[in-house]
Amino acid sequence: MLLIGGVVAAVVAGRESGDKGTATKTVRAVIGSEKAEFFADPDVVKALAAKGYTVRTETSGSWAMEELDLKGYDFAFPSSKAPADELAATYEARQPLPRPFYSPLVVVAHRRSAEVLAAGGMATLDGEHRGTLKMAAYLDAARADKTWQQLKGAEKYGELTGTLYIASTDPETSNSGALYLAAASYVEGGGRVAASDKDVEATAPLMRKLVSVQGAQQSSTDAAFRDFVSGAGNPLVLVYESQVAAMLGQGTGAGVDDLTVLYPDTTTNSDHTVVPLTEDGRALGELLSSDPELRQLAVRHGFRPQGATAEFTSATAAHTAYLNQKLTGVRQAPVPTSAVLHDMARRAGS
Amino acid sequence: MRRFTALLTVALLATACTAQDDKDPDSPEPGTLRVLASSELADMTPVLDRVEQDTGIKVEAGYMGALDAVDLLAKGGTDGKYDALWLSSNDYLRLRPEATKKIVSETPVMSSPVAIGVKPDTVRKLGWKPSDVTWSQVEQAVRDGELTYGMTDPARSNSGFATLVSVASALSGAQSALTDADVDEATPRLKEFFQGQRLTSGSSGWLAAAYERRGDVDAMLNYESVLKGIPGLTVIRPSDGVVTADYPVSSLASTDADTRENVRRLAEALRGPDMQKEITDLTHRRPVVASVTPGAGLDTGRRRELPFPGSRSVADGLLDAYENELRRPSRTVYVLDTSGSMEGERLARLKTALTGLTGDFREREEVTLMPFGSDVKSVRTHVVDPANPRSGLDAIRKDTAALTAEGDTAIFTSLEKAYDHLGAGQDTFTSIVLMTDGENTAGAEADEFDAFYAGLDRDRRETPVFPILFGDSDRSELEHIADLTGGRLFDAQKGSLDGAFEEIRGYQ
Repeated sequence: MLLIGGVVAAVVAGRESGDKGTATKTVRAVIGSEKAEFFADPDVVKALAAKGYTVRTETSGSWAMEELDLKGYDFAFPSSKAPADELAATYEARQPLPRPFYSPLVVVAHRRSAEVLAAGGMATLDGEHRGTLKMAAYLDAARADKTWQQLKGAEKYGELTGTLYIASTDPETSNSGALYLAAASYVEGGGRVAASDKDVEATAPLMRKLVSVQGAQQSSTDAAFRDFVSGAGNPLVLVYESQVAAMLGQGTGAGVDDLTVLYPDTTTNSDHTVVPLTEDGRALGELLSSDPELRQLAVRHGFRPQGATAEFTSATAAHTAYLNQKLTGVRQAPVPTSAVLHDMARRAGS
Repeated sequence: MRRFTALLTVALLATACTAQDDKDPDSPEPGTLRVLASSELADMTPVLDRVEQDTGIKVEAGYMGALDAVDLLAKGGTDGKYDALWLSSNDYLRLRPEATKKIVSETPVMSSPVAIGVKPDTVRKLGWKPSDVTWSQVEQAVRDGELTYGMTDPARSNSGFATLVSVASALSGAQSALTDADVDEATPRLKEFFQGQRLTSGSSGWLAAAYERRGDVDAMLNYESVLKGIPGLTVIRPSDGVVTADYPVSSLASTDADTRENVRRLAEALRGPDMQKEITDLTHRRPVVASVTPGAGLDTGRRRELPFPGSRSVADGLLDAYENELRRPSRTVYVLDTSGSMEGERLARLKTALTGLTGDFREREEVTLMPFGSDVKSVRTHVVDPANPRSGLDAIRKDTAALTAEGDTAIFTSLEKAYDHLGAGQDTFTSIVLMTDGENTAGAEADEFDAFYAGLDRDRRETPVFPILFGDSDRSELEHIADLTGGRLFDAQKGSLDGAFEEIRGYQ
């Protein structure tokens, strides 16, 4: 029955683009949850159909994709390079892998928690909705089990109690949680990327603390962001910038008027990487990277297309109060190899 | 209108290549999803009807408590039987790696925090400001004897488990996710807190009904959405923190790609702004889409989210402590029909079911077996002693094995004797389970029992009878007993006798 959707899409798109006679191929993909809305966007469906594709997606944690049987799929689309490399090795996908777009990790907070953090020396605020999280100071606080109650100004807000921590997804299954550890371990390691057992060992106690304090973690970044939007959840939540940008772009920010976006001064980029499992999958990955319309649509969903920055900058011009367009003052931490990162996540969670 | 659209698609299918109508590309596709769901989600039926109209996806829900559902999933019991999982939260599921592996994607579609619903009179008497009440204040009110409450059984209901975690996290003073040590340390305070619990239930629906019937219970602990659905309660989200359910629609690894596509479409439909609006207005849950404002009366003040335990040992340890140590114990009389008609297979099934149940009795629990025929045959009471739980359980098994079938069916006389045996409550959850395979043929008549019950004092009338429909028993006769005493009828004609006994555990 799935064919119906494909056929209908082709008919509609064919009529509008005048591309009559183009047969569409149905391409199956397993993707990170944060890209689900991109692929479900009717304009994306249309743009893909115009190029002859109907894409059927399922979501999964990026690291959990390894557990899936990907037979019958045309591509996997995890949210960063490390799990993509691992999948590419397993399924013998040819390098280089298409990396159509990326997005840095950010921390979303409500204004009052951002202010308390700033007063405590862990953040600077550049405006009403934007600031920088000082990772080293934050990690010091985490190491010392600092609570919100110990920070000046927190006493005014009942919800600011308990141990201060950034809520992330489960680093063993989900990409953003793993990238959080990548950035934190980079800072903890004195600006050096963990490359060996010994490096992992050295940062393990702090990493374990960052994870264990959270209790049960969400398995997807989408879920973590939804919790924040619905008013539940933690004062500080690690998400992708793309999720925030997409929400702002859709003008659907009414529910979170006091949203403040904190860019960690050392962060990691989520490099959304296509792992082609078939030739159709590869062609689609390349199309996402090169097609101007699809790049534009990726921007609509908050992603930064690889290469030129102009598309993102102009599309988000209205939201500079929230977004640090040029990532000023933000350093990109390199991500450890997949094996090291895996090991780091496993030890942090044990 | 929407039905019409669905028909159109079928027509379009037949002539897909030449169709020139104005159909939008989101055409409905048929498909039924068998969804294993939390029982709280029964209130979503009108929303799901709309989803079906819009997408053609029909949800067939099977309801189960979260812990049982996770267990079933982990053991492969859902494979091939269910197409999706929809619990109020996957927090507990995440503690079980065997279960986590069975999940492909999770899409939260709405949220509701744990809260306490209090009678406005009680709020006034306690001098509470609803926006500013802490768990410690709730605890203090319980300790002062000024607050009693009902809650669902954490072992069988998602709402009960989330409530238990909220209370334990808040009262333990833990600054981050609970540990075994936190639970140990909080035990004395928690024990005191649960002294205030007057009602227990296997489901939120029955809890609300029992609360209304009793009239003398001050409050209920449950999800905000459930409490908002009960008129006349002041719903308070304690300011020092709550656990929030986020209702993830989850697809399963055991299903095929087409099924998972339908699960994705179901979740997508539920997240549409119109549907989100309907959900929050109808069910009092909070939207997960920023453009949709929470329904009327849902206070948007912020609350700390209490971390859910990060390990199974902590979660199970807390549950174990609740059942065996923290909660008030239960006293139950099992009024068991062993009349002549039970001879053979029926008696064998009763024995199997009762024996199976002995694995589930809690420490401190008092169990009385009262087999009857033409009259009560014997009254045997056993207590599961924490110092030596086995001896009590062995004794129950032994008495069960010795049951024999003989005589007529004196239902009402036996029930009267059960009430006489129980006497007043003694600070326990008191109930009577009635299992019979036939109609009343001896002893007191129904109207005599009605008069007997009416003559009991108020405390003793609070003991409900949970009748089990079995064999040739008379549904209307048993339903009357359940209604009269504030119990609930369980059906072992359609379901199994083991299942009925097991389900009643949530109410004891």
